[in-house]
Order: sequence, then structure tokens, then C-alpha cells
Amino acid sequence: MFNYIFKIPLILLSMIKKFYLLFFFPLLCFGQSNIGDIEYDETIDKRDFKLCNSSKIYQYFNNSKGLEYKGDKTALEKEIRSQYKSAELKGETGSIRVRFVVNCEGETDRFRLIAMDSNYLPKVFDKSITDQLLQISKNLKGWKPKSYREDPIDYYQYLIFKLTDGHITHILP
Amino acid sequence: MNKLLLLTLLPLAGFSQTNCEAFLFLGDTLKYEACKIGEKSRGYYQFDQRFHDIYDEARAVCPEWSGAYRAKSTAYLKSGDFLNWKILIDKAVDLDFKLHLGYRAWCRYQFFRDYEGAITDLETLLSKTNYNIGYATNGDCHLKIALAIWYSAVGRKNKSIQTFTDFMNEEDYSPGKFDYFQLGAVYYQVKDYANALLYFNKQSYYNELADNAYYKGQVFKKLGKTKEYQIEKEKALQLMEEGKRLFDVYTHHENQIFISDIINN
Repeated sequence: MFNYIFKIPLILLSMIKKFYLLFFFPLLCFGQSNIGDIEYDETIDKRDFKLCNSSKIYQYFNNSKGLEYKGDKTALEKEIRSQYKSAELKGETGSIRVRFVVNCEGETDRFRLIAMDSNYLPKVFDKSITDQLLQISKNLKGWKPKSYREDPIDYYQYLIFKLTDGHITHILP
Repeated sequence: MNKLLLLTLLPLAGFSQTNCEAFLFLGDTLKYEACKIGEKSRGYYQFDQRFHDIYDEARAVCPEWSGAYRAKSTAYLKSGDFLNWKILIDKAVDLDFKLHLGYRAWCRYQFFRDYEGAITDLETLLSKTNYNIGYATNGDCHLKIALAIWYSAVGRKNKSIQTFTDFMNEEDYSPGKFDYFQLGAVYYQVKDYANALLYFNKQSYYNELADNAYYKGQVFKKLGKTKEYQIEKEKALQLMEEGKRLFDVYTHHENQIFISDIINN
């Protein structure tokens, strides 16, 4: 009996915690929107792409380790350059960013593309370039799963391809 | 090392802790009011919409306060959204070039490898000012060292070396965390191995890095000094293991190397 009375505050505390989690956590998480959020689009995204935590997708640098790819950035660049069929296309100069989500298992989806010319103005690149870069980005399988405070996380990653006359000059980040 | 830490942290503290009272001192009550609204963003992440709502509120009060545009630009910068970043940071620069032009130059380089744009911005800033233009926003190096690195990247090697050495000869110069390494790398690229070694050795003395040991090893390799090359290669691997290397959480440094570079070369 004594033990039971002793446990009452703990039980109450546990109930309060559950109440808090049930009612306030969703408000905290789902009520937030962030710059650059990529919402699921059933017309282009995989239906079976799973997230560990759909309410919070981190940025690739949030775990302080930056870009993490098997074999380092050197391997990533090599993989991209080996797949890219470079052709001299006059005027196809500027940058293309492909941004996507890497889930807690290192799988990718929700690819989105934007492009600019050398003056930071929107540009529509030759389809042979954008299609290639999008497909190459989708083919990359070496993304390392990340964790934050020991919890596995999903994260946003991007690649920027800097181009001069259709040739890749730099790959970022 | 303490100096390095200070160099790293001071610029970070600099902009985020805007002193709103300064506007009051200057009699600009609208900017003061906007700035005070901006202070409410503390505790919100730069990507959080609520952070942006606060700065939109500040902009509504005083569209002339440049701080709001720069604060909002950061999330776009860090997500690689060059289109929206540029619109916002341009507005900040238009309103206060002294405060933001050096920053825009650095970001053009760090996030987008827009060397030409970065050079133009910094040359413009230097031509319009006569004070110390300060350090890159992450404190990694003085902006004049950054300018020297960018000249090298676009192939203007002589101009690069001149910019490095002019700055290093300034009376109050104190070495940044990779200044000598970057100058050594330029000499290495132009095949001036004697000067390359001179500056790589200076870098070793002040702040040894895996990247520096790697390039030093490459010089020895070119000179046919196999034993010295092997020693530097081992050292580079060891330093890499210890985390003593160039690292940028958002992108990568100029002339930065990775472990596979050491193993394969």
C-alpha cells in the first residue's frame, strides 16, 4: 500500500508527459513549416519512400559532419563525372541545383531542380543536361545515413552543378 | 590556438548579435524598432517559418533596415537556393554595402564557387573603403586572403601571389589558420616547388594540417625524394585521423583533400 501511494506522483507525472506528448508535440512539429521543405508529390515521388520521422527533416549539415558519402566527396565527384555525357553546348552556362531527401536508411527521393544563369537569374537549361543531372542524382547510392544526438534522422541534401557551355566545372557542396 | 578560436568565433557572434541601440544613438527610431522586432527571432532556427515571419514584420516596420534581408537570406543560402538568396542579399547590399558586400562576396565563393562575382564584390568594397575589411563570415581567413585564393582559382596566379604576399607583409598581419598553406598551394600549382615548400613549412609551424602534409609530400614526390614523400604521406594520414584537416560543414575549402587523395597519390 505504501509503495502504491509512493508511486502515485510518478504515475501522474507519466500521464502528464503522455498528455503533453499527445497534444502538444504534434502542434510543435506538424504546425511548423520550414524554408525549403519538400512536400510529397504523388505525381513524381515514390509512394513507398519511407521517412523515419516525417515531422522533422534535418539539413545535411545539422549533425556537424557536412556532406557524407561513401568514399568521400572524391568518390561522389568521380561517380557523377563518369556518368555525365559532356557535350559542347554554347550558352549552357550557369548552375543547376538538385535537392532531395535522404532517409534514415540512406535511400533518396523527392528530387527537385532549380537553375540559374551566371547572373543568378532563373534559366531553363537544355533538357539533355537537366534530365541527365536529375537521373545521375537519382542513381547515387552512397549517401550515408545520419543521426542527430544518436537518433537516426532523415535529411535534405543538395548538389549544385556549375556548368560552362554544357561542361561541369564544379560540384557542390 | 586561442587566437584561432577567437578568429573563428568572433565573426559568428558579430552579425547575429546586432546592437539595436546603435540605431537609437543615430536617431533612427524606425530601424531601431525593426531591429528590436528582429531580436524576437532568437531561439528560432533560420529555416523556421516563424523566424521569417518575425523578419517580415520587421521589414514592414522599416523596409530600409538591411539586417532583415540578410537574416532571411541565410536559409536560402544554406539550402543552395541561389535564386532567392541573391534577391535577398542584393537588397541588403543595396541598403548597406559596407556591412554586407564582403559577406556576399564570401558566400558567392563558399556556396556557389562564383569566383568572378566574389572578386568583383571584394574589389568594389576595397575601392570604396579605406579600413580593414575584416574576415570571412566563418572566421576562416581574412577577406584579402580569400581574394588571393579566388585569383588563383580563376588562373590569375601572379595576381594571387602578389595579393597573398602584400597582405602578409602588412605590419599588423598575423597568420590565419591556413594562409601559408593556400599560398604554398599556389606555388605548387605554378611548379615553384622551392617556394611551395617554404610556405608549407611555415604552415606546419603555425598549424599543421593533413592537407598541408599531403601537398608537402606531393612536392617531395615531384622532386624524386621518395623517403620524404612517404613520411609526409604517413603524417597526412595520421593528421586526417586526428581530424586536423581543412573542413567546412557546408561545402569544402579550396585545395582541400580527402582521405582517398592521400591513399591514391
